[in-house]
Amino acid sequence: MSATAPVLDGLLLESAADEHGKNGFHHRHVCAPKSLLAIAHAFDAAGFFLEMLTAEDRRADLEKMRLVYTWNRFGAVERHLLTCDLEVGASAPTIVPATSAADWMEREVYDMYGVRFDGHPDLKRILLPDDSDFHALLKDFGRIEDAPAPDDAEDA
Amino acid sequence: MLEETRDDAAMGERYVLNMGPQHPSMHGVLRLRLELLGEEIQEAEAIIGYAHRAHEKMAENRIWPMFLPNTSRVDYLSGMIYNLAYCQAIEKMLELEVPERAEYIRVIASELNRISSHLLWLGTYVMDIGGLTPFLYAWDDREQILNILERITGSRLTYSYGRFGGLTMDVDDVFVKQTEAFLERMKGRLVEYDKLVRQNVIFIQRSEGVGVIDAETCRRYGVTGPSLRAAGVAYDVRKDEPYGIYDRFDFEVPTATAGDSLARYDVRIREMEQSLRIIAQGLKDLPDGPIMPDKPKKKFKPPEGPTYFAVEAARGHFGMYLVSDGGETPFKIKLRTPSFSNLSAMPEVLRRTMVADTIAIVGSIDIVLPEIDR
Repeated sequence: MSATAPVLDGLLLESAADEHGKNGFHHRHVCAPKSLLAIAHAFDAAGFFLEMLTAEDRRADLEKMRLVYTWNRFGAVERHLLTCDLEVGASAPTIVPATSAADWMEREVYDMYGVRFDGHPDLKRILLPDDSDFHALLKDFGRIEDAPAPDDAEDA
Repeated sequence: MLEETRDDAAMGERYVLNMGPQHPSMHGVLRLRLELLGEEIQEAEAIIGYAHRAHEKMAENRIWPMFLPNTSRVDYLSGMIYNLAYCQAIEKMLELEVPERAEYIRVIASELNRISSHLLWLGTYVMDIGGLTPFLYAWDDREQILNILERITGSRLTYSYGRFGGLTMDVDDVFVKQTEAFLERMKGRLVEYDKLVRQNVIFIQRSEGVGVIDAETCRRYGVTGPSLRAAGVAYDVRKDEPYGIYDRFDFEVPTATAGDSLARYDVRIREMEQSLRIIAQGLKDLPDGPIMPDKPKKKFKPPEGPTYFAVEAARGHFGMYLVSDGGETPFKIKLRTPSFSNLSAMPEVLRRTMVADTIAIVGSIDIVLPEIDR
C-alpha cells in the first residue's frame, strides 16, 4: 500500500489534526454532503479503506442527522474521522462507486436511521426485518422510559 | 469452459437456491441466495440479520458499565477479546491506569481465547469439507482452554472478565501450571494437525485455489484479519496500532500470498503458533501486584466527544466508536465488527464459482453470525 496522503483540497468545511493517543483519530474533518463522493474517491486513490460508516441522531441538539465515516489504511495506520451533517429528512449521495464496503454500511445506516443514499445500487434493510416500520437507532424509538410500566396489580 | 466458447443458453435455465438460514454448514443463521446456472453460481446474495439482538440500541439505554456483559455476546467465540476491548476503550476515555499484572493477564487470556476461536474454526471448517476426525482433536484442545478460562473467569464462552482499570479476579499458580501444560501439549498437536489436515490430499484439493480474495478486493471491502493476511497484507492491529502492552511482546504477523482458502488455513495455524509464543512470554514475565487500581471506577461520566478504539479480534479489526455526551449513559456505541465487512465481500468472491465450493469458501473466512448481526 502506498503511503500517500489523500488529496482533499477544497472538499472540506473544517479539518484539523487530532490526538490519536487520546481518542483514536489522527485527523478530523467536516464536509458538506455534496463532497462525500469526491472525498471517498480521494481516500480510495490514496490507498485507504472505509473502516466504518455510521450515523448519529443529532435532532435533539442540532436538528441534524450526522453521518460518520472513518477512513484508515493498512500498515501506516492513519485514521480520519469525517462527519457530515444532513438536514432532517434529507438524503446523502452514495459512495459505493468509490468503495464497495459502503454498500452494506449504507444499508445499515438506512436501516437503523432512515437516511437514504441517492444512487445506492440496492438500498434496502439489512439487519431488521424487511417489513419493519421503524428505524431502530433513532432516539425517539425504543426508549426504556417509554416502556409500559409493569402491571403490579396483576402480580398481587 | 473457456469464456469465449461459453454458451450460457445451452446450460439451461437459471434457478435460485437458498442455502440457509438453517443449514448444517452455515454455523449460524446466514442465508445465501444463490442464482445458479447448472452448478455454477451466477449471482450470490448474503441475507443477514436473523441474529440481530440490538446491542447498539441496548447500549444507549443503560449506563456505561452496564454494557460490559453485552460485549462478549457480540462475538461469543472471541468474547474475551471483545470484553477487554470495551474495558480498554473506557480506560482510554477516562485516562485510567491499568496495573501491570492485569495487563499481562489480559494478553494471556486474549491469546488463549484467540487460539480457542481458531481451533473451533479449524475443526468445523475441515468437517465442512469432509474430514470429521480433526474436529474431534480440535474440540479436545479447545476444551483445555475453556477449562482454564472457566476456572479464572467463571464462564466458558461469554466472559465478563474485564473491569475498568483491571480484572475481576486474579490468577494463581494453578492457572500458570495449566497454561504451561497447554503450551506443551499444543506443540505436539500442531505437528499432528499438519499431518492430519495439511498433508491430506482431499483437503488440499478442496481448498487450494478456491475462493481467492486478493489484497485489492480486501481493501475495497474492508476485509481484515486472517483473510487479509492470507492475501499478503501484514495488517494486524496488535502491531500496527498497538494497544495494552502488545508492543512489549516478540511475535510475528504470519502472511501468505495466494489469498485462497488454503492460505487462510495456513495463516490461522501459524497465528496459533504466534499466540503460543506470546502466552509463553506473558507467563515468564508475569509480575506480582494488584489487578485493580486502588479506587475502581463504578459510575462515571466520560468527557464529551467521540473515541475510537480498535483491537485485533480472532476474525480481524474490531473497532468501537463511542460517543459520550458527558452523561452517565452512552450517546452511541457503534460496533465495527470484522465479520460484517469480511462477509460483505462474499457475493463478489462467490460469483462464477461452483456451488459445491460455497461452503469451502464461506467457511474459510470464519464468520460468526451474531457478530455480524449484533
